[in-house]
Amino acid sequence: MISIAGVSKNFSADDRSVAALRSVHLEVNRGEFFVLLGPSGSGKTTLLRAVAGLEKPDQGEISLDGKLVYSRSQGLCAPPEERQVGMVFQSYAIWPHLTVAENIGLVLTHGRLRLSKKEAAARIHHSLSLVQLQDFETRPARLLSGGQQQRVALARALAINPALVLMDEPLSNLDARLREEVRANIKKLAVQIGMTVLYVTHDQIEAMMLADQIAVMAHGEILQVGRPAELYRHPASALVAEFFGSINWIRGMAHGNNRVETELGPLWVADSRHCHGAVIVGVRPEDVHLQRSSNENENRIEGKVRNSVFLGDQIVCEIDVRGKILIAKGSPNDGEPSDTVFVYLPRERLVVFSDRVPSDSLG
Amino acid sequence: MKGRGLAVAISATALLPVLGLLLLVLWMGFWQNGPGEPIVYTTSHFRKIFTDAFTYKTFLNTLGFATTAVLVALFFAIPLAWLVERTNLPGKSFILAIVTLGALLPTFFTAMGWVFLLHPRIGIVNRFLMDIFGLTQAPLNVASIVGMGWVEGLGLSSIAFVMIVATYRSMDPALEEAARVHGLGIFRTLLYVTLPLTFPGILAAAIYVFTIALSAFEVPAIIGLSNKIFTFATFIFYKIQPLEELPSYGVAGAVSTILIILALLLSWSYFRLLRFSHRYAVVTGKAYRPQPVELGSKGRLLAWSFLGFYFTVAKLLPLLLLVWAALLRYFQPPSWAALAQVSMNNFYGLPWKLLLHGAWNTLILMLAVPTLTLFLCLAISWTVLRSGVRFRVLFDAVAFLPHAVPHLILAIASMFAALFLLRNVVPLYGSLLILVFVYTISRISFATRIINNSLAQIHPELEEAAFVGGLKLLQVMRKILIPLLKPALVYAWIWMALLCYRELTMASVLVTSQANVTLPMIVWSLWLGGSLNQAAAANLVVLICMVPVVLLYFVFGRRSRIAEGA
Repeated sequence: MISIAGVSKNFSADDRSVAALRSVHLEVNRGEFFVLLGPSGSGKTTLLRAVAGLEKPDQGEISLDGKLVYSRSQGLCAPPEERQVGMVFQSYAIWPHLTVAENIGLVLTHGRLRLSKKEAAARIHHSLSLVQLQDFETRPARLLSGGQQQRVALARALAINPALVLMDEPLSNLDARLREEVRANIKKLAVQIGMTVLYVTHDQIEAMMLADQIAVMAHGEILQVGRPAELYRHPASALVAEFFGSINWIRGMAHGNNRVETELGPLWVADSRHCHGAVIVGVRPEDVHLQRSSNENENRIEGKVRNSVFLGDQIVCEIDVRGKILIAKGSPNDGEPSDTVFVYLPRERLVVFSDRVPSDSLG
Repeated sequence: MKGRGLAVAISATALLPVLGLLLLVLWMGFWQNGPGEPIVYTTSHFRKIFTDAFTYKTFLNTLGFATTAVLVALFFAIPLAWLVERTNLPGKSFILAIVTLGALLPTFFTAMGWVFLLHPRIGIVNRFLMDIFGLTQAPLNVASIVGMGWVEGLGLSSIAFVMIVATYRSMDPALEEAARVHGLGIFRTLLYVTLPLTFPGILAAAIYVFTIALSAFEVPAIIGLSNKIFTFATFIFYKIQPLEELPSYGVAGAVSTILIILALLLSWSYFRLLRFSHRYAVVTGKAYRPQPVELGSKGRLLAWSFLGFYFTVAKLLPLLLLVWAALLRYFQPPSWAALAQVSMNNFYGLPWKLLLHGAWNTLILMLAVPTLTLFLCLAISWTVLRSGVRFRVLFDAVAFLPHAVPHLILAIASMFAALFLLRNVVPLYGSLLILVFVYTISRISFATRIINNSLAQIHPELEEAAFVGGLKLLQVMRKILIPLLKPALVYAWIWMALLCYRELTMASVLVTSQANVTLPMIVWSLWLGGSLNQAAAANLVVLICMVPVVLLYFVFGRRSRIAEGA
């Protein structure tokens, strides 16, 4: 559906050139809910805008539905109005001088479809009913609440039956409760209509809830593409691992035989064939199991509970293991301060990377 | 808070004269006889101007003049603003700077240039057209309502441009992008989204410009006065400085009162509209510049032709004509015969002693007025935004008045006060001091607006932290506020200095002797005295002297913020 090859884009600001995209490659299949995830400044919005035709890349090619819309080598850059996509903007971009119905109608009667007023009316009604706003047709758009504007923006994007819908942080301006509701609705609609969605967000929870596929971006590059669970369990780099929630890093030396000599002693890992020399071993807090007595042999180390915070359904502990603090999440009766516990790190839950993590995350 | 009383007192001192002058104008309108005689009150002036056909003619003249000016200003400003804000035209920031700076080009300068171009008798365009087509009458006449409106509109196009650029900037670019993405082309997006959304802003700019044009003095004075075509401003001026009869302050006061009411009404509707247009200004989370509209080679050619046309008629032609006129003894169209007469005699013959004296006075004004204004307006802004005293809204409202009230009227009221009320108290009449006083008062609105905008962006806790640390208000001002406000203060100072330099309207009333003569005033007296070519030469000298200050502005004062108002 979307095919992006070698797309680069530089911005010049204050006489400096900043690379927003560095030779990005990406394939999005038809019907997929595809999320671009990354911190601000990672280039995700620039990539989305390049697909929409709102930003002209410096290099590469983009095709939509098999049709080339941008090609540097062919000197082609189709204007946005010829790309037949729907788009939801971060600010919603609801035209304040028009009513709800006119906001959608303008697109139908003066956009690519050039529908008659009568044909448009039926479509307007249908797309508004998708977002439960059918009773708001005559309301001036500027009198809508943020949540309602968001829904109108969605209805407008869907009205032309686009094969592809682009969404740029559509939930970031909503309050927390509304966000959950709208998120669920977006997912439901996407499945119901079977549309392809390219969705930009910086929120990894949002990404994991919505996405079929996620592309993690940083510094204008795509770090990894995969299904949510895949990215969480098998991150391709320490950066990706850190982006999906907190993680403990343990320094060590690998010798290519799945056994890593670490600062906590020897640890068995599932697969460390790709690493030699200095490595870091990562384990997520919920995978740091606390046990009272020892009944496993491998990856079990004695430690002391330094501090624990009771959160109701779980407890977060700082465990002192040979002078190194590990964060563990466990069930509420797992540990009291100054208890001596055994820490068990299941080998299939450990990830190993060459030691090139940002130093600040290693404490 | 120690020092609060002082700040409030300074603000009150600055603002009371504003109210005083306004009341004086009202009062003046009811005086039966000239000042100096016993006061007898009458409503006859009001009755007279409402029954006199000449009033209505003047009113229609003024209306036609201001409307033409608005149309001309918008005709240039809207496309220019769109080109600068929304397209990929190269050199946009330079164009922005130059057009903005155009607001400083003295209007009397362009007005003189256009007289040499389009005067029915001497205007070279007319002579040219008459020669070619064998006409017996001049086809174009600058000494007409439309002609004067055209020249005024050229002058006001800079301000309109600045305001419309601001409208474009306050609009969320995503609103236009949403239209593009959903299939509307450039033209339809412009028609259905950009134009309707910027309409309130453009209308507000139109009203703003109209208000200025309504009481504009320079163009009607340079072009209209000698041809007996009056607008309200020149009519009032004529009443207090008539050629034959005695001055009639009563009539001037009555007409001024009406003009003030009109101006206040317009300013009120301007603010209403502005608030309406702000509704459309959605503040977005991200500060990105939208991808500009790509102009093709045809579009670019069109854009450059338009820009070229604008600069030619608004700046280049008047300048060339003045240079040509300054080099000739008698004005005549360019020809080989005329070229042989070109000389610097006009320059040698200028009243250099007077010019030097005028330059000295102007320099004093340029240094004193901005400094004094900023000092007073700091106090006013602080009182309005930070002091927490009751009636601070009132301070804000009064500080706005000098913007709405025509400056010519402020000057007349001050002169009236100096001449008849304060004559035995302070010898203000004919002094440089009265110029400092009125110039300062007239700039209070501009300076408070700039300082208010900047002060509102400084978190009050920055000051509170200093108060808690034991600093007094004066120290907080010196150590915290003034350094933080410095960019805005520098910008406002230089801009006001430049406005002082070119000020003719107020000077025309207040300058009565060599003692307080200013540079623009010398140019104008030469012009009024009929030495057009000498006036052109003097004008060029004045313009050249302005260059260093403009450079100063470019180096220190130019900021992304744009000049609000003149």
